[in-house]
Amino acid sequence: MFAIIAAKDLRELTRDGRLLWAGGLVVMLMLLALGAGWNRQVQLNSERSAGQALDYDAWLHQGYRHPHDAAEQGMHVFKPEPSLAVFDPGIGPFVGSTVWLQAHRQSEVKFRPAQDATGLQRFGELSPAWLLQVLLPLLIIVIGFNSVSDERERGTLRQLLSLGAPARSLLFGKAAALASCVGILIAPVGLAFAVLIVVHLPAGERVDVVYRIAWLAAGYGLYLGFFVFLTLAVSALARSSRAALVLLLGFWVAATLIAPRTASEATNLLYPTPSRLDFDDQLARDVADAGRKAWSTHFGARTQWDPSVPLSKWGAALKVDDEAGYGALDENFGRLWDTFERQQRAQGWVGLVAPVVALRGFSMGLAGTDFSQHRDFSTAAEAQRRKIQNIVSEDLIEHADRLGNAHFTYKAGPELWASVPQFKYQLPSVSFALAHHWASLALLAVMFCLSVALAQYALSRPLMR
Amino acid sequence: MLDAIEVTKQFGAKRALDNVSLSVLPGEIYCLLGANGAGKTTLVNLFLNFLQPTSGSLQIGKLDVVRQPLETKRLLAYIPEQVTLYGVLSGLENLAFFSSIAIGEHLPRQRLLELLEAAGLPRQAADDRVATYSKGMRQKVGIAIALAKNAKALLLDEPTSGLDPSAANEFSELLVKASNDGVTVLTTTHDLFHAKQTGTRIGIMKQGRLVEELRSEEVSHADLEALYLQHMKS
Repeated sequence: MFAIIAAKDLRELTRDGRLLWAGGLVVMLMLLALGAGWNRQVQLNSERSAGQALDYDAWLHQGYRHPHDAAEQGMHVFKPEPSLAVFDPGIGPFVGSTVWLQAHRQSEVKFRPAQDATGLQRFGELSPAWLLQVLLPLLIIVIGFNSVSDERERGTLRQLLSLGAPARSLLFGKAAALASCVGILIAPVGLAFAVLIVVHLPAGERVDVVYRIAWLAAGYGLYLGFFVFLTLAVSALARSSRAALVLLLGFWVAATLIAPRTASEATNLLYPTPSRLDFDDQLARDVADAGRKAWSTHFGARTQWDPSVPLSKWGAALKVDDEAGYGALDENFGRLWDTFERQQRAQGWVGLVAPVVALRGFSMGLAGTDFSQHRDFSTAAEAQRRKIQNIVSEDLIEHADRLGNAHFTYKAGPELWASVPQFKYQLPSVSFALAHHWASLALLAVMFCLSVALAQYALSRPLMR
Repeated sequence: MLDAIEVTKQFGAKRALDNVSLSVLPGEIYCLLGANGAGKTTLVNLFLNFLQPTSGSLQIGKLDVVRQPLETKRLLAYIPEQVTLYGVLSGLENLAFFSSIAIGEHLPRQRLLELLEAAGLPRQAADDRVATYSKGMRQKVGIAIALAKNAKALLLDEPTSGLDPSAANEFSELLVKASNDGVTVLTTTHDLFHAKQTGTRIGIMKQGRLVEELRSEEVSHADLEALYLQHMKS
């Protein structure tokens, strides 16, 4: 029986024009967002692969020079853009894509698109994910706020119930109609987009991305399903269609616009992060302390780069100095990143009242654009930097005895540069993302079940008042 | 077929029905008369299980309305004062939808057209949107829904209110035909003429109580009117 009710509701919705106008607008925005995202990704990928190749080429062909000079100049590595960043750019625009691997210090990822953004873009990027997270619930509300209340006001509910339509069929029929509206609008676009993404990928990456898309579909399905059942519940519980609309819009504003920002501020208070200046100061102090201790232990020197240490040992000194700093770098960056992750986990609990917060984390995670995957890239980039430092320092150690005090005149050639492998970074797999975001998915499932239960309760109460 | 047994319905401090008992036999047309607020519609709502009695019980075909709501509704068809339909759908589409809900299967278009015709709706109006229908035309779609359901009992809440005399007369004829086929009818009305002409039995309600029950053949129109007015004034 629910299929009969769903078909009737769908027919009504298509005839009264709401679906056409509101849905048409959403589809247009979706196509616009996907088109813009695709264009941006093609451009970024081409710039980054060209940049990566040019930079490594420049490293290989830097001629004869002192290895430490080469290490000081370093090289740049570029974060590959995950294919699903077209769908959800996540924190990408705010954390940058390029790391300068230079001697002595761990650099932050640079060149953030958000730095070039206009004021308007600060309100949020028009991504397909944003549309699904924010606008689609609004569409569900606009289409469905009077699903039950209007039937009651018009009297058709009386007619339906007098014919023995069970409340359960009514609920699931109306839910199926609302879900079909959403499906009609986004399924064709989503499917076409998924196929486009997958066929453009190298064969080895396809399976992983297909899994990611399937998990994303599950997460968004639960989230939109939550709004479908919540809308029906409020429509059944509210005294009038107008009251239902006001209540639902109020919830939408609070849960999708206000709560995420409030959650972000609240978790920042709960787990404060240091200012940029404080972080840099602390890091510099810790690295210097570690360096001083290492110089004292290894060379009996009171300060770093003490003139008492002969130049023949500066290769070894560079290695000792670098390695001494690794602990401090790991500790400071680790502490900062752990704080970011604690903030994110705490924000996840806000998903209990505002499921968009849970979905946002899950979506970024599965798209490969969340913080945990950014951290993974930063760690890989730092490992590459340390690899370069080690190769360079080992070369200086190897050539120390022969050159004696002529440390600064030594020049390495292409063989040394070629011994530094090109940076190749493999994005973490879908299981990495799921391991970080299963709690968000579970929260979405809980919220979905609660909304179904609320709707069942709302429709099991006497509907004729 | 339709039994109300010592039914009382209380809305807060107001007693809408006070210990009402009535029984409508198969093939009978029982007309409930009474002023506004007498409790007629409350009784209909109780039979539909839209409301639950404060005390007493209601049965349809010996099934308890409260305990077996879906089973009792299968035996019923209900036509309210204003038959409410979906304006953006045609009469035929409304009938197709409601009849599918009622009987759980899709009737073919030809059968739907026959039902609309039997209810008196002009064939050329069947595919027009209901938003363009008059009240009488909507009422006819309501009757077609009841016919499609092939119900054993009809509950009618002031069904001829607002209909022109010709449409009201057509409606009465349909009721008589249904009752001749063994359908039990309980109808509320303000229309004494309609009650006398159509009803097998007539009940008069006042302030939630059934104050008079009589067979229509035993009373003239003038006597019925006098009796009704006497109860209303007392």
